[in-house]
Amino acid sequence: MKRHVMGIDFGSTTAKAVILDLDGNIVAWSVAHMGAVSNAAVDQAVGEVLAKSGLRQEDMGRTVSTGYGRRMLDIADRNFTEITCHARGAVAMVPDARLVIDIGGQDSKTISVDANGLVAQFAMNDRCAAGTGKFLEVLARAMEIQLEDMGDLALEAEEELKISSMCATFAETEVISLRAEGHSKANVLGAVHQAIATRTVGLVNRVGKKGPVVMTGGVAKNPAAVHYIQKALGMPLILPETPQIAGALGAALIGLDEWRLELGRDGVQREEDYDVDAQMAFDKACVTGCKGNPVDAKVAAPPAATSEPAPRVGKLKSVMGAIQKHF
Amino acid sequence: MNAPVLPPKLPGVANKLKSTRKAGKLVNEYWEMVWRAKEEGKLVCWYEGSAINPFLEAADIVWVHGEAYSAMLAARHQEGPAQAAAEARGYMQELCSYARTHLGCAVSNQRNRNDADAGFTDIPEDDDIAARLPAPDMIISAYAYCSTGQQWDEMTSRLFGKKIPIFNVSIPWIWASGKDAGYCRGTEWEETSGYVARQLEDMVKFIEERTGKPYPWDRLRWLMSNVKRASELRLEAMDMCTATPAPASFFDWVVSIAPINQLPCNESIVDYFTSVRDEVAERVRTGEGAVPREKYRLFFDGIMNWNKVGWLAEKFARYDATVVAGRYTHMAFWQEPDLIDANNPVLGMAQNYLICPNNHSSPILVDLIMGLCSKYQVDGMVIHASRTCRAFTNPQFLIADAASKRLGIQTSMFEGDVVDESFYKDELVNTRVEAMLEAIDARRLSAA
Repeated sequence: MKRHVMGIDFGSTTAKAVILDLDGNIVAWSVAHMGAVSNAAVDQAVGEVLAKSGLRQEDMGRTVSTGYGRRMLDIADRNFTEITCHARGAVAMVPDARLVIDIGGQDSKTISVDANGLVAQFAMNDRCAAGTGKFLEVLARAMEIQLEDMGDLALEAEEELKISSMCATFAETEVISLRAEGHSKANVLGAVHQAIATRTVGLVNRVGKKGPVVMTGGVAKNPAAVHYIQKALGMPLILPETPQIAGALGAALIGLDEWRLELGRDGVQREEDYDVDAQMAFDKACVTGCKGNPVDAKVAAPPAATSEPAPRVGKLKSVMGAIQKHF
Repeated sequence: MNAPVLPPKLPGVANKLKSTRKAGKLVNEYWEMVWRAKEEGKLVCWYEGSAINPFLEAADIVWVHGEAYSAMLAARHQEGPAQAAAEARGYMQELCSYARTHLGCAVSNQRNRNDADAGFTDIPEDDDIAARLPAPDMIISAYAYCSTGQQWDEMTSRLFGKKIPIFNVSIPWIWASGKDAGYCRGTEWEETSGYVARQLEDMVKFIEERTGKPYPWDRLRWLMSNVKRASELRLEAMDMCTATPAPASFFDWVVSIAPINQLPCNESIVDYFTSVRDEVAERVRTGEGAVPREKYRLFFDGIMNWNKVGWLAEKFARYDATVVAGRYTHMAFWQEPDLIDANNPVLGMAQNYLICPNNHSSPILVDLIMGLCSKYQVDGMVIHASRTCRAFTNPQFLIADAASKRLGIQTSMFEGDVVDESFYKDELVNTRVEAMLEAIDARRLSAA
């Protein structure tokens, strides 16, 4: 019996992969950075995560992909948008989260999550990479510093400057101009990160500001981005330990739901043998972050379930049965 | 990993109304009539915005609606030469692309006249239909809300050497802030309606000066009786789309805009909408839907992407989503025929011009849209933010916010444009629409 699932986030500048066991524990994860949307990056991420876990692709019961390249993966059984997967992954990392800010390589998104952990509204940047990781990469080259050093240097800013360009390319021109005027790298980088914060808060306003706020995506590892966004929002950001893998984790969790349903309790795929709706009412099934733990029901159990305790898998089976009705 | 293989071209999924195919023939006949206008010694009027064409048709003046010509070019994927001509002349890409395309037609006309002011001298290709548009003998500007529309006519006049007489009709914004104010009611409504109606009567005098003949009011009354009936039939058919599955989609109504908005207002438009109504009624009777498996019902806010009508119709059909209604189709184009008294049509015409969907204050606009969403039992709203149309996009965040807070409807916004295809990015649309549909599914599951 296959006891693992994989989630792959085929992003615009990095590929991420996560393997979960049947209990929903992360067995291994990887991030590969190879530039623009790249099959090689995905191969590397998948190869690394398999190597770390000591597993093979054939050991995966389910592989779910997300990201812009999600449809390009032969090994994926299903694909979901990064909005769904990032929300799922972020809420798994921070169960009470009500707002997810994800800033990745080329896109940034804000997702408001309701009390049930479901996507309420979302907003994304349109056609322009200003305020994203690509924006920082471009400016790192213009400033002749390493990308990973930008955040710390920006926190040393002493003077408030302004980058007014909305375009990542023209912001580069502005940065060069400010440096030519004699402004320090730290001050210029402070302005760059303030620009990111301004763009981000614009997206937040479109979905509504509500805490707790969790930040995911590679830019969450940039301390200055976090600092300036927190300041602009007026709210603290919760930073998961591995923010880049939220999308891949969410994809893996969706895969896990499906795989558990297919497995059944004894490892054999089952047909539905009871009233799905009644079972759901009994189990009070949830969707986001669900790891198969039954919740005490307040309604009378349907007759079919009284002869034995509701199986852990049965609850997910009832969830997935309902999902299949809808899909 | 294998490189992605392009899938074979798939057969169409969208179940378009068959009766709307007639619209294509009627539209072609109309434009042929326009292209022949000068040969036949007819006067030509260029106008944008409000549908003043019945006034012109009654006086035997050939009418050219700027947006309609631009939309036609885009729908035929022939907008490139006109847009290139306009940009070469100095009209930037951020300008309303309806205006830019139509101005490009005027520039092409300059080229044909070998006008030294045209900026270049090469002659347009024979198949460049942008260059076939006959020059105007008059321009009438009657544009609600959008200042670009009003300036567009001035620019057109300049391209023709400022020698073309222009008549301006002011269509005031409806604030609806008075205590008795509301949709089509209140003191402001009554006074503004009268103000526009008086201007339309002055416009008729302008027309008489151009034609040198008394205005044929009887003919206008007859034309407007046809418009009123056509509108009633169109609305009747739209109302039937509250059925599940919806028998027709927003894209069917988009194709039907030309017959209601710009084609000759004779019996052919009544016949056209009679056949549309009958086909929709038959589909309701048999349970035939606009998409084979309706799983989602969506509202479309925004002007149409004219380069992408068929493309978007297919896309949503493949998502099992029926786009059941939209602001552009359901809140425009003689949408209040009851206001029109065919025996004395001017006031009703003025009022229909005032209720252009961009001409309401936001509370009214949002209420009307929420009403449509409830009426058609919509699950989600797709918002097309036209890059070059600020008028239509201005209230879209308010609309999305209201949809979410008042009705709990999922919304998804994508950027595109009315006739400039370069602003449309397909994958961005896919991601946003799919994310919205996934969220709808998750909520349905949670509610189950």
